[in-house]
Amino acid sequence: MSERKEQSRIPISKIQRASKFVSTGAKVGGNYIKHYSKKAFNPKMDRSQLDIDNAEDIYGSLSELKGSALKVAQMLSMDRNLLPPAYQEKFTMSQYSAPPLSYPLVVKTFQKTLGKSPDAIFDTFTKNAVNAASMGQVHQATKDGKKLAVKIQYPGVADSISSDLRLVRPFATRLFNMSNAELDHYMSEVEGKLMEEADYDLELRRSKEITEALAGKIEGLYFPKYYEEYSGGRVITMDWLDGVHLKEFLATNPSQEIKNKIGQALWDFYNFQFHELRQVHADPHPGNFMFMDDGTMGIIDFGCIKEIPEDFYENYFALLKPGFMQDKDEIDKRFKALDFFHENDSPSERKIFSTVFLEMIGMLSKPFQYDTFNFGNNAFFEEIYAMGERVSNMKEVRNSNGARGSRHGLYVNRTYFGLYNMLNQLDAEVKITKPSWLNGSTEKVA
Amino acid sequence: MAKKQTAKPVDSQLKEAFIDFCLEHGKEPASIYKFAKDLKMKEVDFYNHYNSFKALKKHIWADFLKETIENLYAEESFVEYSSREKLLALYFTLIEVLKANRSYAMMDLQMMRKGDLKPTFLEVFKKHFYKFIDEILLQGKETEEIIDRPVIGDRYSEGLWIQTLFILQFWANDDSKDFEKTDAAIEKAVNVAYDLMGKSPLDSMFDFAKFIFQNR
Repeated sequence: MSERKEQSRIPISKIQRASKFVSTGAKVGGNYIKHYSKKAFNPKMDRSQLDIDNAEDIYGSLSELKGSALKVAQMLSMDRNLLPPAYQEKFTMSQYSAPPLSYPLVVKTFQKTLGKSPDAIFDTFTKNAVNAASMGQVHQATKDGKKLAVKIQYPGVADSISSDLRLVRPFATRLFNMSNAELDHYMSEVEGKLMEEADYDLELRRSKEITEALAGKIEGLYFPKYYEEYSGGRVITMDWLDGVHLKEFLATNPSQEIKNKIGQALWDFYNFQFHELRQVHADPHPGNFMFMDDGTMGIIDFGCIKEIPEDFYENYFALLKPGFMQDKDEIDKRFKALDFFHENDSPSERKIFSTVFLEMIGMLSKPFQYDTFNFGNNAFFEEIYAMGERVSNMKEVRNSNGARGSRHGLYVNRTYFGLYNMLNQLDAEVKITKPSWLNGSTEKVA
Repeated sequence: MAKKQTAKPVDSQLKEAFIDFCLEHGKEPASIYKFAKDLKMKEVDFYNHYNSFKALKKHIWADFLKETIENLYAEESFVEYSSREKLLALYFTLIEVLKANRSYAMMDLQMMRKGDLKPTFLEVFKKHFYKFIDEILLQGKETEEIIDRPVIGDRYSEGLWIQTLFILQFWANDDSKDFEKTDAAIEKAVNVAYDLMGKSPLDSMFDFAKFIFQNR
């Protein structure tokens, strides 16, 4: 990819990386000064310019770090599911901009893990990466007339995860309005998932498992086949999937019918994973979905799989049961189980948080209240952002001691929000399929 | 790594025996006489090939590099590599070769003083290195990956030699799994070197300054 500039300089040592974050922090501080000085003259100005400025500076420095820091940029963009649109836009690009590995290093990686150079294994093999993944890069190869995608991991990724995350910490508390406790809670789950993602052997095994379980279950979806004989260590080989990314696909002006068809397949895909498999592709990043003109779609990258524990499953989806919002005892029980409430909350705190969380659940679960839901409705999303902004600025929420919400919820929420976002971009109207026990007459909560 | 294509060349026998001895005893043999005797050779057999252990060591290191270069050319696509990729491949492969002999290599590398640009054990190694480098620098200049500059243009190879010493020392001190950090160091060091040797804003600035000076 020619537009990806090869970086001449990557901050190597921890100190250099740290100073990178410090300079970002300084810049972001500067943006705030700029914002408030402008605001002094023009009180009507809103935060969106500030958000854009911040997003650009954060993105600029994180994309230079690659590896797990890059991943964190993406995570923050999607996990903080209540993030202003300006950040979202910028961060979803981050996947495409890591500096590539040189070909000799690719050859060396192959020799180390598979004992042969790529030339000896495949009939053809592209010297340059055709795509970047957040922890590595993808080359295209052919073998016996089959097109293959070969993913190669950057060296030393696993080692740098913990130290990268520690570096992101001070910076995240400030930029994303998170309290320290909230961040702790969040980071341990993220770190665990990142370590899993860096483990290509695990990814290979899981990819095979989950794609086999899904095969043929949902119409219009297809998955790559994984080749164990050409994988191992820091290399994974799978079928090459044709198709284009969501943005390019939409640029071809597909018909509403096709968009609905894809949207439906997406919804069913996640529905099946949540409720049947109890493990879910938790990386609903646009780069992982390849769209075809005829309305079929390929799904790749099963590196980030969230396994949903039984008790969490029960408590989480109980929130969506018809009548939940009116049942005070049920609310109390489930909120305690999901860590929305803490043991030592004062009654007034209880009241504030129960209002906040009920409002959030009502909003985010809105699609579940309908038989069909039109995700093209932008007002719904603007409401969510507005609420997110409001909640994260609430004094009580910011000063709350201890994080709220089960840690399993992070990736589940992220997945749902990623799904909503894609459906929104697709402008799709989707029939809300769900397990039968979630059916019934529903109250409509706004 | 045979030097001559005879059945059992004495020189490679000597080298192997020397490496073995160093590994097992943690030091060099006490004398050439004793060393030859243990090999059931005469002292003069040794001198027919090398005049001292020092000379022998130089050839052991040179062999590491020769083996590396042979491996490189065994790789089909190597000839198609750009100049930058060839240098990267050289370092990566060299580290692989050295990895197979790490214990021995460490003994010499740890003895090396910091800032010593001409360690004796690398003398012959260096000669072969320069030969290889001259070729890829020439290729780089032809393809304009590298800009030939007056005066410094002839000294690029010296810079790359210093870089090689840096990489060797980095590897000697690397404790990461499978020396992944050395891989990263190589990648970054070579990129820096080639970016410096390639066309840079300084060239245009120099050109501009010269123009102004001549036309004022």
